[in-house]
Amino acid sequence: MTDVSVPAVSDPSQPEAVLGRRSLERLDLLLLTVESLDLNGGEAMLWATRQLGFEAVFPNRVELWKRRCHNPLRRSTRRGSLSAVETEALIRILCAMADRLYPMLRQLLSSREPENLTSERWALLDERLRNLIEERMNLRRGAIQRLLDGEQSKPLQRQLVLTLALAAGPGGVDRLRASLLDPNP
Amino acid sequence: MVMLKQSFRYDQTAARLEVEGLPDFSADHGSNAIGILSSWRLTMIGAPEMEGQRDHLEALMASVIPYARLQLSGVGKVQGNDDGPVRIHPAEQGHQLELISSRSGVPPLTLQLDDADLADLVRCLDALRGDPRVRINWPPIVHTPLPKRELAERTPLHQRLAAPVLGAGTFMILGLAGLLVPIPNPDAPSQTENQTNSQESLISNPSQADGEP
Repeated sequence: MTDVSVPAVSDPSQPEAVLGRRSLERLDLLLLTVESLDLNGGEAMLWATRQLGFEAVFPNRVELWKRRCHNPLRRSTRRGSLSAVETEALIRILCAMADRLYPMLRQLLSSREPENLTSERWALLDERLRNLIEERMNLRRGAIQRLLDGEQSKPLQRQLVLTLALAAGPGGVDRLRASLLDPNP
Repeated sequence: MVMLKQSFRYDQTAARLEVEGLPDFSADHGSNAIGILSSWRLTMIGAPEMEGQRDHLEALMASVIPYARLQLSGVGKVQGNDDGPVRIHPAEQGHQLELISSRSGVPPLTLQLDDADLADLVRCLDALRGDPRVRINWPPIVHTPLPKRELAERTPLHQRLAAPVLGAGTFMILGLAGLLVPIPNPDAPSQTENQTNSQESLISNPSQADGEP
């Protein structure tokens, strides 16, 4: 297997990414998808923070949670936006987590896996993601209602999993950053 | 005799990329490095083996990696030139990778990839580009935010046109309704004036004797 560890420090030559409202929503939803794939996702995220050397940015789980609360779709949302350093740290943590979960992401996306097994995997992901969304998000928002709607949620969930698979590893950081910096429609 | 030829392999579940080459001692590379690429081989599950020279591999990178970036934004757009050796575009079920051989008489190779195969291929290429043992200056691939026009294209045409068509339709209907409302003629006496006159005629003349019409 190839070594796909994420570099420990952020590259200062990278452009400063300050995310807009939609991108903050997307970044937090991707982290939420990671948590629904990994039951111990919260702890793993904290571990990844230390591994990647972002302890100064997120010294503890509360600080990490507070940054994620900048997502306007959250039940308890915070005003303002993330700084460029915080954004970069979250993107790198997400890519490292996606890299760790890549075998699961692959199983979900593969058409060669047995169909009944794939359906069960998607159903499990759907249930966990739904629970996390209901627990943490503002259920009156249209975007959240779409994620909870049976038919509409399927392509959205698949796009979230595909995003994680293509952003996994060190090569995915640039791709994900550029995609998050897309202008809002 | 010291074996100088180096071979590195990058494995994923459905993809295997192997590169072979020699260290470039003139550039002060160590013996465990590739500075001059002699050949590469790509094996995807369920597809024949592909091989080629460095420029083919660079073309593969230049098509597949930007295509993956577009997929992150939900944009399915063909990558690679029509006359180039590699093209990738969305297909009915997943993605279609087309490789055109530089040898005459060899038909183009078409591979159907699902999302997992594409992710595997991208990871192999990422691993090769990021491998410190491969001291080759690959052409840079710069990922930038997409222009709004390209992002708009991911929305179906009928959905994109719905709002402007509805707006234009409403404007036209309101305009036609406005044309049907009669314009008051400034020369003609107004209804209030007529009313005032008729009311005035009802007032009796004080010089007139009572009972006279």
